[in-house]
Amino acid sequence: MSELQFFPANWTRKSSVVLASSVFILGVLPASAHTLEKHFKVGPQPVVTINNPDGKIVVRAWTKSEVMVVADHVADKAEVDAQQSGNRVDLMTHALSEPASPDDLKADLEISVPEDAELQIHNDAGEVNVLDVLGDMTVETIAAGVDVEDAAGYLTVKTVGGSFQCVRCAGRVEASSITGSFRFLDLRSYLVRAQTSKGDIFFTGEFLPNGDYKLKNYSGTIEVHFKPGDSFDLSATSVKGKVNNEAKLVPPDHPQHYMPKFGNALFGTFNAAGRARVELSSFDGTINILKQN
Amino acid sequence: MSPSPCEEFSKHLESWLEESHDPVMEAHVRSCARCNALVEDLGAIRATAFEWAYPEDEPSPSLWTSLRAQLEAEGLIHVQTTSWWDRLTSWVPSSSRPVLAGAYVAILVAVAFAISGPGESRLDRQLWLQSAENTSQPLQQDLDLAEQATVSTLPQSNSPVTASLQKNLAVVDNYIVLCEKSVRDDPQDEVAREYLFDAYQQKADLLAVMSERGDYEQ
Repeated sequence: MSELQFFPANWTRKSSVVLASSVFILGVLPASAHTLEKHFKVGPQPVVTINNPDGKIVVRAWTKSEVMVVADHVADKAEVDAQQSGNRVDLMTHALSEPASPDDLKADLEISVPEDAELQIHNDAGEVNVLDVLGDMTVETIAAGVDVEDAAGYLTVKTVGGSFQCVRCAGRVEASSITGSFRFLDLRSYLVRAQTSKGDIFFTGEFLPNGDYKLKNYSGTIEVHFKPGDSFDLSATSVKGKVNNEAKLVPPDHPQHYMPKFGNALFGTFNAAGRARVELSSFDGTINILKQN
Repeated sequence: MSPSPCEEFSKHLESWLEESHDPVMEAHVRSCARCNALVEDLGAIRATAFEWAYPEDEPSPSLWTSLRAQLEAEGLIHVQTTSWWDRLTSWVPSSSRPVLAGAYVAILVAVAFAISGPGESRLDRQLWLQSAENTSQPLQQDLDLAEQATVSTLPQSNSPVTASLQKNLAVVDNYIVLCEKSVRDDPQDEVAREYLFDAYQQKADLLAVMSERGDYEQ
């Protein structure tokens, strides 16, 4: 009589470990994970507002005239509410009962929107990722980091401590923070305003003709990479820090009206043709103006 | 698309505060709670700012005016292209929150401090220091009061958001201390004054965020 086999013939000790681990993981997963999926038909340039206290928000553009929301939250005390009003879709995570802890209000959202959608996002903690959206957007966070790629609209980002990264953005960019750092990569914007107190600012991209670029911090490093073909008027001032420059600048024709009397300052023109305006200022941080490799 | 009555009113705000009241705008302010509250708050702020701006032991306004005119004529200082009122209203949040009124006052004084003080080395350093102290001391007191009121509304929590807010408040407070020291060390340093103004503004903004969050969690 053959032995009873509870496991397949190729069962190994490793398989047992995997099974045991799976059972353990299932055991610790919350029993009440909630998923919401909703679809909204919208017209051109819809407005999508998102208010979420904590979690990961991913917004992607697609070709449909529709907003799709997939929301996941764990706790029973919270609910993700999605409603349409005309050409606007409002998403809000809110408490169903009190008291609710910050963890109770945690929700992850994945949203697909038409590429011309306008976004208004408020997410205190977690992270915000926006991909390929060409409409205007406003993002406000406290601790959440913000990552935007291939945007073309007017972009306004305000964080308290969250970092901000903007990759291949082409519209007007305004960013402010207290301790968040900024990274602008392959930027093609004609206007950039970025100010942070205790954070680094890193910039690579094109200085477009007649573009206006103002980067400012209190402490930290401001690093700007220019290409040999760029053309800009440069003003770089650090009250108590250093200014390091690799650009061969022609001194201005006329003395600067606001030539600072304090700190380290640099003024001049690099390649006279297009003349974007680049203004870099720091209180006691270091400013690096470097050739882009 | 025509602007909303509130947007229309905001365009008339400066003339309104100069006591030039359009009847249509008057009717709107009477019927709109938000604009009504805004007018009341800004009126109080303006009154307080004037009290601070012209203490009895300060030189008279006419002296400042003639000094400024002379300095401008000599090209030693430059006329601001944007009025202080535009600069103030550009950042004041739309809600009129009593707890933050103090912070608005603080920034109002900071703006006045940043743009209206004597601007050149010919002026006496002592005058500069006195001017800076006259404005920054009540300003700091008012920000402290706003901070106490705001922080007390925050729930006791170890959440990353609360931690981030408190950490950033400490950072801004530290910058204010450093900038105030720089201004004291060299009161004519325009850049230091500008950074001090930025730090005050950041603190007011941060207190507004903290206040909103306190309300939200309660």
